[in-house]
Amino acid sequence: MATHLALDRLSYWYPLTDNPALDDVSLRIGEGITAVTGPSGGGKSTLLRLAIGLVPHFHGGRIRGRATVHGHDILRTPTRLLAHGVGIVFQDPEMQTVFQSVDREIAFGLENLNTPRPVMLERVAWALDVCGAGHLRERRIATLSGGERQRVAIASVLAMRPGLLVLDEPLSQLDGAGADGLLAICQTLRDEGITILIAEHRLAGLGEIVDHRLDLIGGRAAWPDGPGISIAELPAQVLSPVAADMPIAWRCHNVAVGISTPLFETGDCSQHHGEFVALVGSNGTGKTTLLRTVAGLIPPVAGSVDRWADRIAYLPQNPGALLYRSSVRLEIETTLKRRRSADEPGDIIDAMALRDVADKYPRDLSSGQRQRAAIAAVCAGAPRLVLLDEPTRGMDTAARARLIALIRSLTQDGAAVLVATHDPELIGSAHRTLTIDGERLVDGVTPRQTVGARR
Amino acid sequence: MRGRALAIWSAALLVVCLTTTNPITRALALLVALNGCILVRKPEMRLRPLLIGVGCAVVIAAVTTLLLSHTGTHALVHLPSSWPAVGGALTAEALSFGITTGIGVAAAVLAVAVCGLGLDGAELVDALPTGLQRTATTLGSALNLVPRVARTTRAIAEAQRMRGWRVGGLRSSAELLVPVVLTTVEDSLQLAEAMEARGFGTGRRSHFVIRQWERSDIATAVAGAAALLAALVAAVTGGTHDWYPFPNLVAPTVGVLPLVALVMLVAGMVQWRRI
Repeated sequence: MATHLALDRLSYWYPLTDNPALDDVSLRIGEGITAVTGPSGGGKSTLLRLAIGLVPHFHGGRIRGRATVHGHDILRTPTRLLAHGVGIVFQDPEMQTVFQSVDREIAFGLENLNTPRPVMLERVAWALDVCGAGHLRERRIATLSGGERQRVAIASVLAMRPGLLVLDEPLSQLDGAGADGLLAICQTLRDEGITILIAEHRLAGLGEIVDHRLDLIGGRAAWPDGPGISIAELPAQVLSPVAADMPIAWRCHNVAVGISTPLFETGDCSQHHGEFVALVGSNGTGKTTLLRTVAGLIPPVAGSVDRWADRIAYLPQNPGALLYRSSVRLEIETTLKRRRSADEPGDIIDAMALRDVADKYPRDLSSGQRQRAAIAAVCAGAPRLVLLDEPTRGMDTAARARLIALIRSLTQDGAAVLVATHDPELIGSAHRTLTIDGERLVDGVTPRQTVGARR
Repeated sequence: MRGRALAIWSAALLVVCLTTTNPITRALALLVALNGCILVRKPEMRLRPLLIGVGCAVVIAAVTTLLLSHTGTHALVHLPSSWPAVGGALTAEALSFGITTGIGVAAAVLAVAVCGLGLDGAELVDALPTGLQRTATTLGSALNLVPRVARTTRAIAEAQRMRGWRVGGLRSSAELLVPVVLTTVEDSLQLAEAMEARGFGTGRRSHFVIRQWERSDIATAVAGAAALLAALVAAVTGGTHDWYPFPNLVAPTVGVLPLVALVMLVAGMVQWRRI
């Protein structure tokens, strides 16, 4: 079997750090689809960036050992030359968009490689076709849904015909249909002879298509696979039923949700204190807008919202962005002080397993750790209404379990928790779901029914 | 519209604006630029914020000059001399100079905006000489981040409000600005990383879109080149009829060559409606 990526006793340190992100790693990545799994901060993103030379050429730092991709010495070959044979798609497709139109975006890499125009036209058409995005060719990027943007991002890399395609948490922002579509693309690419290296926390469905699995834990590699790879999913956790006498936390009266133009109508819906509700819907249907409406951040287009909760915690998408203090502990203390809470930061630090990084600068943490730090920062101080927007992005299985445990603790203390999510396991743990179905909000579907329908 | 033709036209208008202080020439240039913006604007591009911005620039230039320059013989009003900086006579000369300056700035901004409103990032890159394309790509992709910065700012402000943050004073502003700036820097680095990974900066680039020059492109480019030549000749020979209202307000006269340049630019626009 041909080896595409080979590491020989490779260790790598990011600038100004003492602990290696990759620690004496030796491995061979052959044909097929290889899943890279492991906890947040384990070195997955570093390995992916190493495959195309962004580590060390873009990020700097110290490196020891040997690494080759398609026979090229990664440490001596610039990324822009390695790009002839390796393509990488990052977690957030918006952050890799250069041009505004789909066809120009896909051709960008080919233009950089000075590909003759007839070949470019052929490659762009092929990449769009493989990704099932031929109908998007004339569209502008800004008009695409999250799933469509992800397809275009993959097509834009695929057009360069890489022998090795690297995907960094490609499912993290996709709804169920989008995730299924992406996994189907991966299978098609494997059949086309392209090797795929995919780092992902969201493991549902991945086990069926993966040929090999590599675990990275604390920068060290392990191969737990063999015939019949099993990728464990997070078991649904059972929450205590909501007491019948719990008061209502918020209620929407025939609210038209949207910003100036309505996206959908809620009818009459509400949530009780002590209740965990999952807000479900495809990409772009208006989940974030409903959360902001319930929070009182934007007014409804029509109808009214009543709230009976004084302390509201709100976690936006990309929550790591709101962190600005010099340590995780200070972030939490800031919230406690503003909420005039006498709670100790240590409680929520332990709840989110942040003890080891509590005194570190939040923006030096891995994306999963940063996500947990942001959740701890907004949920500190006993909020009565907790609104979380896609909180499991970038989270490993253990961190998701901690999040669910935190939600259980908050609901037991009487908080109402409303979470917008695509995560089947998180949905499965909720008391009930609110599903955005076209122009209406469907209330009362049980979590297991919802998850079953999505698969 | 072919990008390079529009870039030549836009550059010529910019030169007309920047090489004269004549208020009539500047006002006419502003009208030409405004007309150009309206004609070439892509449907998804918004003109209103730009017009509000340049309107503010004119007002700010006029008011600032009126309040701070006390030169001139025609006093409009006297402010108490004890008022720091603004105290003294406010003159018609200062007001007219401020308005002329504002109109010049507005015309120059709109002259450049013609390219921004009529071409998307990729077309803009194609419009520039090969040596500038790498810089233009970087700038164009950076501009793609602007909507994201706006969304990030809104999201952070909302989340901070929910954590008890309130607007007020420098310290509270920093609690919003610092995370916004840090996030923007991180986003920019990730975009740079993604561009590097797609071979950006390898060397010679090929072009996905090769558009043939059409009649309207040729007309625009020729008119732009002729206007550019006329404006440069006027600047070198003193034919711009520069105007200064100090110390006495005098009526401006109009130079022939700048007018010829503007007529050429208008002629270049004739076929734009068919695009």
